[in-house]
Amino acid sequence: MAAVWRGLRSLPTWTLPLVLGLVLLSLPWFGLDFTLSRQIQLGCILALLVSGLNLSLGYAGELALGQVAMYAAGAYTAGLLATAGWTDLLLQLAAAGLAVVLVGVVTGMAGLRLGSLSLAMTSFFLILLIPDIVAIFEEHTGGRNGLAGIPAGTLLGRPVDPESFYFVVVAVLIGWFAVMRNIAASRHGVALQVLKQSPVLASSMGISVFRMKLLAYAVGAVPAGLAGVLFANLDLYISAEAFGFTMATTILAASILGGPMSVYGAAVGAAVMQAGPNQSSNFQQFALVFTGIFLIAGGVLLRGGLADLARKAVDRLDRAAGLKGRPEPEAGEAPDLPRIEGVELGVEDVSKAFGGNQALKDVSFRALPGRVTALIGPNGSGKTTLLNMISGFYRIDSGRVLVAGAPLKGAVPHRVARAGVARTFQTPNIPEGVTVLQAVASGRYSSDRVSLLSAVLRLPRFRRAARADLDEAGRVLALVGMGHLRDAEAVSLPLGMRRLLEVARSLVGAPGVLLLDEAASGLDEDEVDRLAGLIRRIRAAGGTVVLVEHNFRLVLDLADDIVVLAHGQVIAQGPPSEIAENPRVLSEYLGVDNEWGADHGTAAEFAGAAKTAEAPEEAS
Amino acid sequence: MTIIWGGLALGAVYALVAIGYNIVFISSNTFNFAQAQLMMVGTFVTYTGLVTFHLPVFAAVLLAMAAVAVVASIEERVAIRPVADPSALLVTTLGAAVLLNGLSQLTWGTQPLSVPFFAGDRVLGLLGGRVYPVELALVAVAIAAVLIFTLLSRRLVTGLALLAMAEDREAAMLRGINVRRMAFWAFAASGAFAGLLGVFVGPKTFAVATLGASLALKGFVVVAIGGFGSMPGTLVGGLAVGLVEAVAARYLGSEYALISVFAVLLLILLVRPSGLFVRAQERTV
Repeated sequence: MAAVWRGLRSLPTWTLPLVLGLVLLSLPWFGLDFTLSRQIQLGCILALLVSGLNLSLGYAGELALGQVAMYAAGAYTAGLLATAGWTDLLLQLAAAGLAVVLVGVVTGMAGLRLGSLSLAMTSFFLILLIPDIVAIFEEHTGGRNGLAGIPAGTLLGRPVDPESFYFVVVAVLIGWFAVMRNIAASRHGVALQVLKQSPVLASSMGISVFRMKLLAYAVGAVPAGLAGVLFANLDLYISAEAFGFTMATTILAASILGGPMSVYGAAVGAAVMQAGPNQSSNFQQFALVFTGIFLIAGGVLLRGGLADLARKAVDRLDRAAGLKGRPEPEAGEAPDLPRIEGVELGVEDVSKAFGGNQALKDVSFRALPGRVTALIGPNGSGKTTLLNMISGFYRIDSGRVLVAGAPLKGAVPHRVARAGVARTFQTPNIPEGVTVLQAVASGRYSSDRVSLLSAVLRLPRFRRAARADLDEAGRVLALVGMGHLRDAEAVSLPLGMRRLLEVARSLVGAPGVLLLDEAASGLDEDEVDRLAGLIRRIRAAGGTVVLVEHNFRLVLDLADDIVVLAHGQVIAQGPPSEIAENPRVLSEYLGVDNEWGADHGTAAEFAGAAKTAEAPEEAS
Repeated sequence: MTIIWGGLALGAVYALVAIGYNIVFISSNTFNFAQAQLMMVGTFVTYTGLVTFHLPVFAAVLLAMAAVAVVASIEERVAIRPVADPSALLVTTLGAAVLLNGLSQLTWGTQPLSVPFFAGDRVLGLLGGRVYPVELALVAVAIAAVLIFTLLSRRLVTGLALLAMAEDREAAMLRGINVRRMAFWAFAASGAFAGLLGVFVGPKTFAVATLGASLALKGFVVVAIGGFGSMPGTLVGGLAVGLVEAVAARYLGSEYALISVFAVLLLILLVRPSGLFVRAQERTV
């Protein structure tokens, strides 16, 4: 039994869906009556709609209720083209795809400005506009009477009868699912998951939050447009009534049921909704009641939908078949770190006020390649604020930040990241549902760019980058001593591991400047040693490291230059030996006053004092 | 002028939906998709009270308030509280909205029901336009509601506690505010408020099961214009949406009414995404 399962698992994951798709395609040869054929075609159309929603809701985390509007746009595009004499289905599919991307981009640009709610509402609004727009262009669309007598579609000049149209519908479905699968199983899919989890993290990795969400929303509109074309050619009649609120909620319910963050869940959810509530279309009220219950129950109980249950079941079987053992750390030398082209980071007279609170005042320092620059200071002295300003999360009131001599003023976070500044966060920020290896590889998103199109078509360029992603990520993981955990779920790691994972993620893109925000807090002694060793190797490889740290011993141990902040100002900077003797630093930061500090001012002792009185983690 | 009165009254209805959104938003940082549906249920219950049971106005209003408060409480318990992930709330409250739509259609049918207004429906002439008493009442109720809620939130300890919760839930908890209970009662109160409005909104819009979706959207446009959590903003937003809709319907044709409102929404979102009355906050990490 276990052997059979192991054999099955060695096949690619898309084997089963492809087989099911081919079975669906071959059903007419086994005799398929008209009613069932129609139900299957409607189910396929619904699956297309749901799949598009999954891309924006499940992957990008944006509730786009406007799938129905895109569906209508596709259907009317097809209907109008056909009545004008353009009956070729391929042409209609292409035109509808373009039309809905356009609608998606225009409405998405406005809707995405105010967070998830406003996209939900603007796209929802589109649904209500359908009857009005149809009415305005009455002479073309047939207005409230609907568009009747659409000429049947043709394919490359040959007419398509209802029996062969079945194949077109199923083929489009299979084709789209292949596209969707290629998007989900690519760095773009992981980037979308990162974005959903934390826009802050995404932008610090060089992902433009706005453009990525817009992309997901606009691409998610494409299958809806295709579905519209199929629907128009199925009935050869369309009216605004088919594109209403009920349809919109049915799509959402199917998505929630099948699992929004899955590729094939869309088909399962669509099948259930098509076989269930959609049958009671004569009793619309009941359909609404069922859909409402589905939505509430799905949102409350079934996080991740049926797809999640399936994943858990597969996991169980894997363990039973002995495919997943407990990983053991492998012994042996950590691999070498290749040369890192570190660049100089310059901070010149930077000031920042939050209301009346002067958080930073005329702060200047430089961090050089091949050196570790530590930022220290008591809680609230502005260390993290400074880091956030360097990464572009706060606007700079005055002064400027330079990376490799070029000023960053006014740059948004993803641009700063693309300029080569990578960072970690005080609270490790790890996306859900990805493996350790994927999480690390996602750090290469901005350093080695691959378009969505080449990911969809699996072009050589994509394959090269994907292989490099995995190789690099694997190597950096081995460097931080986590090579054996590469297939573990990233969020389930303990705190120390998650911190090291963050360091690995920011290191994998070979950044010009590496900002580590309290990377050592919460680590045990072993892990601190490992981290210190890693930082030394980054320095030796030529990297520029900026370290915000409370562990004074570690700082004295590691740093080449120390910048001490207090009350938003630099009170001292210099090599560790100087800083450790500086009386102001002693009183401000270590809380050691003169009676203590003047007599015993040696680095070693303060290191001891700092260690015992280690400051708690600064609130973010 | 008649158009303007009509637009003002419509705007007042939208503002009232927006006030409901804001009560829940301030108290639990949740957007209740089903707020407009609660108001819709309010119009239905008022209809039942006034027409079916021939209750006096006062009793019908109390009945509607109690009924909708109960519905809202159930919604909070079933569709809000158990939800762990805040982003799933949009889905569950939408589910509640869909469910209420379906249940109302099952209970009251799909035909619009006319709710009589207690002060009669004799047309009045005012400032050169014709206006129904209910339209004046709606505008007055919207203004009064904004004044009362603004005062309550500033003067009462409860109001301050609600504001504290909206600002920082954890900090409020640490100061001994029972956040969950407050959120529950705010929800119930928004339900009672929606029920109370049935007697004013019903005569203007009819009690009809399709009311929810369009009210929900326009209420949202009002909030988008006025800014989330801003009570005075709802008045300005309501005024703008109601007038745009009424004027567009009169001069461009009824099929342009919604499109014009949509254009206003797009404009606001592009030009001033945080609304007119709420200051944009700098992002924090």
